[in-house]
Amino acid sequence: MKKYLQNLAAFAGKFQHTKHIFALVVISLCLLPGTARAAGLSDIITLLTTITSTIQNAIGGVLTGIQTLNNTVNNFRQQIIWPVNALNQTRGFITSTRAQYQGLMNQIHQIKNNSATLRNPTQLESLYRSALAGSIAQLEGSYTTVYSPVPLATDAKPIQRDLMDMDDALAMGSLKTAVLSDQTTSGMLGLADSIEQQSATASPGSGPMLATEAQIASLESQAYLTKVLASELRQEAAKLAHENTLLKQSAANTRNLENQIQQVLTHP
Amino acid sequence: MAGRIWKLARNIAATVVGLAIVVMLLPTKARSQLGLDPCCAIISAGLSSISNLLSSAVAKPLGAIQQLEQQAANFEQQVVFPIAAINQARGLATQFQGQFTQMKQTFQLPVASATLPAPQQLEQTLLSRSPGSVPQVTTNYAALYGTVMPATDAPQPVRDLVDMTDAEAQAAMKKAVEIDSLADLELKAAEQINQQLATAAPGSAAILEAQASAWLVRANAYTQSAMAELVRVRSIELANRGAQLKFSTAHTTNLHSTGSQMVQGAH
Repeated sequence: MKKYLQNLAAFAGKFQHTKHIFALVVISLCLLPGTARAAGLSDIITLLTTITSTIQNAIGGVLTGIQTLNNTVNNFRQQIIWPVNALNQTRGFITSTRAQYQGLMNQIHQIKNNSATLRNPTQLESLYRSALAGSIAQLEGSYTTVYSPVPLATDAKPIQRDLMDMDDALAMGSLKTAVLSDQTTSGMLGLADSIEQQSATASPGSGPMLATEAQIASLESQAYLTKVLASELRQEAAKLAHENTLLKQSAANTRNLENQIQQVLTHP
Repeated sequence: MAGRIWKLARNIAATVVGLAIVVMLLPTKARSQLGLDPCCAIISAGLSSISNLLSSAVAKPLGAIQQLEQQAANFEQQVVFPIAAINQARGLATQFQGQFTQMKQTFQLPVASATLPAPQQLEQTLLSRSPGSVPQVTTNYAALYGTVMPATDAPQPVRDLVDMTDAEAQAAMKKAVEIDSLADLELKAAEQINQQLATAAPGSAAILEAQASAWLVRANAYTQSAMAELVRVRSIELANRGAQLKFSTAHTTNLHSTGSQMVQGAH
């Protein structure tokens, strides 16, 4: 451009009317385009068409699809999986079930089964049906009052005293275990009631937590049931052992009798 | 005059030459600086179309999606997983922990009552809740209930019966110690799961539920094994009664034949 201007000036300088020539050149330069066009008009139109098409089809179509999908999922959740009406109906069902059965079941559970008529048995029975752990300390005395203590060493053979003592111990042990079990049962019923009560206001999200709590309580209950069963096993085993010992004693007595008869016969 | 004409002609020629040069130097297609190029109108129309499309095809669905997402989030937070209900369930687990501990302490109250040495020892072993003490049952049992009588004291069938009965009685006592110990472990596990539940999320609670269910199945199995032992004890008890009746019948037959022989001998 510079060279071009120099040449033009040199050429104009050869003439005297350089002012006119310069004015002409400046106007012409002003009319020159600043930059050359890079692309053609058809290219621009193609580009715009492509962008429009992409927005409308590729992006817009996918977004509409996502919207439809979200709508479907939401409807499925709100109308099929967790419809609020069904949730409320279930909560209402829990409340009405509680009202229907709880009182009745409590009444049945609280029926007194005491049947003894005399003073000492009545006292013992009331103790072992008390469901109060605190009463097991008195149970031993009351049991001895009804069933008598183990005879003195002068009044019975050692094996007989041992058998009586063991039988008494396991019988009392089982009665005490029954008292403790009854108290635990009351506790478990309380826990079951709490879980059911809270279920009546639970949400689908907190429901599994309550179900887990119920499973844990059930595991505890099963463990206590096992303990009661262990007590029964001890008792039944002792009963079997007792009868077996009597058989052993019977054999020993027979042998002694035979020995004595033989002695009598040999030494008349 | 000729000079003036020459001068004028020279000026005209210079102007024409200059213009020719300028025209020659001009690009064949130039974009004008002043006024609107047709391209601008097309670009403007295109951009306007893009803007409209962004509003209708992109922004509108995005707005709807946002609204849906918000609605879904509200539903989940208010209906499915309300934080108050979740905290309430966690609170119940904490409350139960205290009650579980109380129950466990209740069941640990001593129930031993034997007064004589041999029964006391056996009772102590039976209530030990310790699997390590199971082997002591045999010794303590023999000390209290005795052993099988010698062969000189009873016929073999009676000795067999006695041995069988002792075996079952001891087995039942051992089983009682074992399941007592297993029950303690179940209680410990239950407390641990409960502690975990007190800080669990609704999502992890389902996993804990599965674990608690597995433990429950296990506990049921142990209870079942204890029930089987109880059935065995009672079966042996019943078998003993039947055997005694059989022995009694055999004795009567023997007595009858001995009596007959004596009567025949007298005649």
